[in-house]
Amino acid sequence: MRGTGRNFSAVVLATGLLFLCLRVFAQESSSSGTVVVKGAKIYPISGAPIEHGVLVVTNGKIAAVGEEGKVSIPAGATVQDATGKVLMPGIVDSHSHVGIDANPAVADSGDENEMTGPIEPALRALDAIDPADPNIRMANAGGVTTANILPGSGNVMGGQSAYVKLRGTTIEQMLIPGTIGGMKMANGTNPKGYGRRDLAPMTRMEEAALARGIYEKAQQYQEKWAAYHKAVAGGDKTAKEPDQDLALDPLVQILEGKRIVHNHSHRADDIMTVLRLADEFHYRVVVHHGSEACKVADELAKRHVPVSYTMIDAPGGKLETINVDMSCPAILEKAGVKVAFNTDDPITPSRLLLRQAALAVRGGMSTDAALKGLTIYPAEMLDLGDRVGSLQAGKDADFIILSGEPFSVYTHVLQTWIEGQKVFDRSDARDLRYATGGFAVAAHYPSLPEGAK
Amino acid sequence: MRALRLLAIFFAMAICALPARAQKIAIISDHLYTMDGGAQGGPGMVLINSGKIEAVHAGANTKAPAGYEVYRAAYVTPGFIDTDTTAGISGAYNIPHDQDEDEATDPNTADVRSLDSFNPNEILLSYINQFGVTTIQSAPGPTNPIAGRAGIFKTRGPQSAAATADQLAMRAESAMIFNLGEIPKETYGKNHKPPMTRMKTAEIIRHALSDAQGYQQKWDTWKKEGSDASKAPTRDVRLDALLPVVNGTMPAVFTAHRADDLITAIRIANEFHLKYMLASVTEGYLVRDQIKNAGVPCLVGPIMQRPESPQTVNASYEIAALLEQAGIPIALMSGYEAYVPKNRVLLFEAGVAAANGLGMEKTLRALTVDAAKILGIQERVGSLAPGKDGDVALFDGDPFEYTSQVLGVFVNGQLSYQRK
Repeated sequence: MRGTGRNFSAVVLATGLLFLCLRVFAQESSSSGTVVVKGAKIYPISGAPIEHGVLVVTNGKIAAVGEEGKVSIPAGATVQDATGKVLMPGIVDSHSHVGIDANPAVADSGDENEMTGPIEPALRALDAIDPADPNIRMANAGGVTTANILPGSGNVMGGQSAYVKLRGTTIEQMLIPGTIGGMKMANGTNPKGYGRRDLAPMTRMEEAALARGIYEKAQQYQEKWAAYHKAVAGGDKTAKEPDQDLALDPLVQILEGKRIVHNHSHRADDIMTVLRLADEFHYRVVVHHGSEACKVADELAKRHVPVSYTMIDAPGGKLETINVDMSCPAILEKAGVKVAFNTDDPITPSRLLLRQAALAVRGGMSTDAALKGLTIYPAEMLDLGDRVGSLQAGKDADFIILSGEPFSVYTHVLQTWIEGQKVFDRSDARDLRYATGGFAVAAHYPSLPEGAK
Repeated sequence: MRALRLLAIFFAMAICALPARAQKIAIISDHLYTMDGGAQGGPGMVLINSGKIEAVHAGANTKAPAGYEVYRAAYVTPGFIDTDTTAGISGAYNIPHDQDEDEATDPNTADVRSLDSFNPNEILLSYINQFGVTTIQSAPGPTNPIAGRAGIFKTRGPQSAAATADQLAMRAESAMIFNLGEIPKETYGKNHKPPMTRMKTAEIIRHALSDAQGYQQKWDTWKKEGSDASKAPTRDVRLDALLPVVNGTMPAVFTAHRADDLITAIRIANEFHLKYMLASVTEGYLVRDQIKNAGVPCLVGPIMQRPESPQTVNASYEIAALLEQAGIPIALMSGYEAYVPKNRVLLFEAGVAAANGLGMEKTLRALTVDAAKILGIQERVGSLAPGKDGDVALFDGDPFEYTSQVLGVFVNGQLSYQRK
């Protein structure tokens, strides 16, 4: 036993050293000079667009953003001229399954749905995310820098999501420090899949009852701990610590407002059930997909519940999406509901997230709201609004450089940066194949003539 | 009395005027793409009379003749042709009630026809019409090695008159659909039925084509020996369906993704001297020399298909451009979708091809005139030229821009959709 203990310490030490090395390495490469991008049209999101802007990055953070000529460029900085290009914050995908529903999609690679019980709050997405999933590199190629990686929608409560940056070779490098993730919930069609096996839930009624049941249990657990802490504080030395429950701990975090519920919901009545439960247990919730959210826009607006919207090209495929309409985000915007866009990758490949917001503009949304729906609004939906989602001094240096205006079909993502590190560069032949497709056969991939690119 | 008679005449005129008014249409555009040779994208006017294109006038400041209802749009193109889709036979609800694209009970269903599943009231037909798609080749789905016969149909929009499948059909039996690759073997193999391997899929197809050749010989011999009715060979509907394929009068469409599956399609087609085309062609860029040498046209797409399964993991947004650059005739297709979205919109798929090397004008060709030529329907659709069907799409900007709007769509000179 002792020997094992010693070995364990050695491992901890070694791991610690490794981390230290990695940290030093990471800092060296990001501080190997200040990075400056100048000349681009900048959409800071936190303010009006800057026609000829400058972005200064130091140690992975934004040091300054402003008009060319008005921002001093530090001596020794690596300066990139991006005149004629467009620069905006890295895209935040508030609903993705990259890494957990990995590529290629064969039986072994899907780890998003634990279909053995409809209430699984103890599950953590982070235990199933493969950082080597090429879908993550393709997301970089689409300009995505931050993601909420969620368990699937097969369960009423599918597990804890992970808030990550899309870089690194371990999940520890991906996880955003200080975050605990959200909680995936789902209602409507998908959890009713159990019904086909004669298991609960078979109806929407049961879905709601299961959710209500687990929150009531969590309330009792929370009260037990509160009573214990009160007794200890009151000097009661005989007070017995309640048994810890891994499934209920994250639910207490929800009840305390520390963890946000991300609730898959399409139909208007299902969305009302989401709101009813959130009202009852006073928790913070984001409605995900929201295919019929515009039908209950006022109900969402008056509760300040935002929508992480999944734009799909055509109605149907399932009953719940038969009424999808490109004008839905515009209707939500007018009602005062904050809308983010998500990929639900692999439903929409992450490379196409900019396109999803562009289609909302086609449906009548303002470009301002559509840009916010790719950046600051999803950041806020993950409690990350103070770190990412806009270009402001002090925030993480997550940004993308585009060949043109964000909502043109002809625009390409040229570069993607996360915390001052370039993670995608379209001019790199290998990176290019994550943008166009063909990464697995890049060595045999024929090139288009320069003019055709 | 006189007033009443006048009123009656007025009403009679009004009734007569309605269809007459819809018969004569002038569409004026700053950027007219007739796709009928010559420079494209200049100002011009298209006149439609009685469902057909009557005249095309190039130049700015064109004035509509009297009696024509006038429409204006920044960009005007021929209606688009989706060369391979399950629209019409695979419904939006995705429940057994509306899924009629795959008769997955036998790997050879050469005798079935999409015409007999085609629902002219399917909402997805109306949906794609609103994005400029006016002609589709509606084809059986991806499951059977020999899936049955596709048909070519016009679409209907929200403002179209009621129609039957037969009325919408331009060509009731347009092609025989063959499927290679993962889907047939996964569908049947999991139930321990053939095909369980790519070998068997190829064998099933070769076997059927060989039988059809033998069947043709039997009939030829019977005819040579005097066509004695009492000695006629027994009719076989499945072999009957394959006769035009082995005789080269009906094209075979081979849906294949992986490069080796594409090569298998070429091998089988050469063996039986088929008139054929390749569909999807996902890894076609890896074998484009072989495709070019085979002289086979390609129905490419869907461009935005998910690079998800092992056979589509190498899907590229540049596939259309890479094939076109190699000199291979291409058209675009939306294919089949099993889930969300249930049907792809050809206009959107095309936009991504345009932005990834194909460019705007070549993409328009692939959607219109080239698609019509490949399907052999260029006498009626695919370009705006006198005598052709009045199938026209109107846009307020570059058709492929995400934020452009489709302003209106005409099918056979009738307004099928108009943006409110």
